[in-house]
Amino acid sequence: MYRYDEFDQKMVTARVAQFREQVERRLAGALSEDQFKPLRLMNGVYLQLHAYMLRVAIPYGTLSARQMRQLAYIAREYDKGYGHFTTRQNIQYNWVALERIPDVLADLAKVEMHAIQTSGNCIRNVTADQYAGAVADEIEDPRIISEIIRQWSSFHPEFSFLPRKFKIAVSGHAQDRAAIKLHDIGIQIVKNAHGEIGYEVHVGGGQGRTPFIAKKMADFVPRDKLLAYLEAVMRVYNMLGRRDNSYKARIKILVHEIGESEMRRMIDEAFATIDASQMLRLPEAEAARIRSYFAPPDFEDLPREEALPADADLAHWVKTNVVAHRQNGYAIVNISLKPIGGIPGDASAAQMEAIADIAETYSFDEIRVTHEQNLVLAHVRWSDLAAVYEQLARHDLATPNLGLISDTIACPGLDYCNLANARSIPLAQDISNCFADLERQHDIGELKIKISGCINACGHHHVGHIGILGVDKKGTEFYQISLGGAADENAALGEITGPAFTEDKVVGAIENLVATYIGIRHDGERFIDTYRRVGMAVFKERLYGE
Amino acid sequence: MGNKVQLIIDGALAEDKWAWCADEAAIGDVPAIISLTRLESEHEALRQKNVPLGVVLRNAGIGRTKAGEDVHRLAPHLDMLAVVAIEFDTYRNGRGFSAARILREQYNYKGEIRATGEVLYDLWQFMQRCGINAFEIDSTIDLARFKQGVNALPDAYQPAGDAWRGILWNRHSKG
Repeated sequence: MYRYDEFDQKMVTARVAQFREQVERRLAGALSEDQFKPLRLMNGVYLQLHAYMLRVAIPYGTLSARQMRQLAYIAREYDKGYGHFTTRQNIQYNWVALERIPDVLADLAKVEMHAIQTSGNCIRNVTADQYAGAVADEIEDPRIISEIIRQWSSFHPEFSFLPRKFKIAVSGHAQDRAAIKLHDIGIQIVKNAHGEIGYEVHVGGGQGRTPFIAKKMADFVPRDKLLAYLEAVMRVYNMLGRRDNSYKARIKILVHEIGESEMRRMIDEAFATIDASQMLRLPEAEAARIRSYFAPPDFEDLPREEALPADADLAHWVKTNVVAHRQNGYAIVNISLKPIGGIPGDASAAQMEAIADIAETYSFDEIRVTHEQNLVLAHVRWSDLAAVYEQLARHDLATPNLGLISDTIACPGLDYCNLANARSIPLAQDISNCFADLERQHDIGELKIKISGCINACGHHHVGHIGILGVDKKGTEFYQISLGGAADENAALGEITGPAFTEDKVVGAIENLVATYIGIRHDGERFIDTYRRVGMAVFKERLYGE
Repeated sequence: MGNKVQLIIDGALAEDKWAWCADEAAIGDVPAIISLTRLESEHEALRQKNVPLGVVLRNAGIGRTKAGEDVHRLAPHLDMLAVVAIEFDTYRNGRGFSAARILREQYNYKGEIRATGEVLYDLWQFMQRCGINAFEIDSTIDLARFKQGVNALPDAYQPAGDAWRGILWNRHSKG
């Protein structure tokens, strides 16, 4: 993985000092809360319902064991002993005192971490496929260009006060695990007929109250021109994005309002000017330096796969949470952060430390965070699977439910967030408890439930196979259900079933939907496949019938 | 604007020789900063008059996306402009950063680019990096403090409208 050199370290250390000074000015009253807000946001500090929340960047979701241990230390020292992994592959701490945040940032800087641009109206932490460098048939490891984008976008003088936040995701594989079409910019790494690597660029996707699937703006941007192309997109957005209404300020609204072809024309025009200067063409030596950090680890030459010890639980877990690796004798291990009845994405300090130990021993010292709020050990030897399983299980980290109904995405909701209309976490827990029987979950098969506590859609409800949106009606929490969403390469927005349900009726409605699917599914069909085949009517009738 | 402002040009306190001239007012003999619409409607006469001229670029409330005035409209007039004042109606509006870079990098504009409006401490370095060289800032701020602000971060990752090339490029520069 990428390691800081003296340049990176100098910038992060300077930023800690800068923010410490900003906090001092705020605490001394020299900065008003209004003036302080964009500064703290650019350092990942939100004011939440009960306290300040700190969001720490995990660039493209990759962490070392040492970094994970430091996250555990911070959870224990500054928070209540746990952290929350997010859909942006980051980690959030919900209970940090403002005056201690500069110390947290200093502790993060010791392990090459920071909270820079994890919030605010700037280019956010870049996200990427969690199976990068491990999965077969990858075109290129997406973390290479992600790291280049991270550096280019850090403290960007032109794009630090955009109309609204800006999110970039990268996929290096035909199967999209990074939800690129739901980002402000989604980058798909492609190979052209001449065998050259380049980038297909999608612009204007996003969720929130007005969801859009991104539009493809360029089929093939050559490798050395991507930064110029990105700068062109950003400039068009910075110049024309709306600042008069924060609900209409994202680039997706600009693309929608001026139209796809006009947007493309303006981007191409800006791109021609920016690229002509050649200023943003990276020196080949620097590209090679960054690429070298993502070279495959020293895999052993192993036989294709070995038999596992005869253990039903282990076999179950391997079948569900373990994915094929590109290297013979290795496997990709998913660590579910969705124990039955637990809080999606939460991990205790002890769990983080256990994962760090396991990663160090069994997975080349590397951990990944997924946008579905789970963790990944990317390179585990097949012969070590039993040992890894046993150690994960000891820390309640081996729930075999990846992609199943209890592997929900949920936003923090009304329990933490001051934007929320309704609670998300308790509902995720109720659903998880209702379907606690793993045999039953396996019979249901892949089913992605995503829950947002308000229209801002942090829980990705628009792209859930079943999406649940919390709404407030005259002080009562209601939940609207949608069907048919998807965040993968066949990205789609869900369709609302009908009137919303009260909290006590939601779980029943989900059971109803599941029973309907099981009743009509064809062999091998997932919930989403059945929905695509039969459409809304059957499900709707079952939900609201009579 | 609340507090009084002072002008800093190229890192030094400077006397502001420019008068902001309303659209209805006559342009006198002192150097005047006028609106873009006035510049466009009177540019032929102004060219004849041969007086030092500046223009202000508004960055909000104008145009189909309410974004503000298009910096590219300045292009045909840049040779007669000694000052382009870029308005930061609020410090949160970073549109002016793009305008400054386009003037410097695309049009090679060498005159004064001035930040006016909510020109707060934490913006100065970004402004300077985008090619802004004149700052209207609160008159209570001393020059040492200004220098701290424009040097807040010791380096930059990317090239922009100033002389820095960026860490991504400098790691491999020869010499």
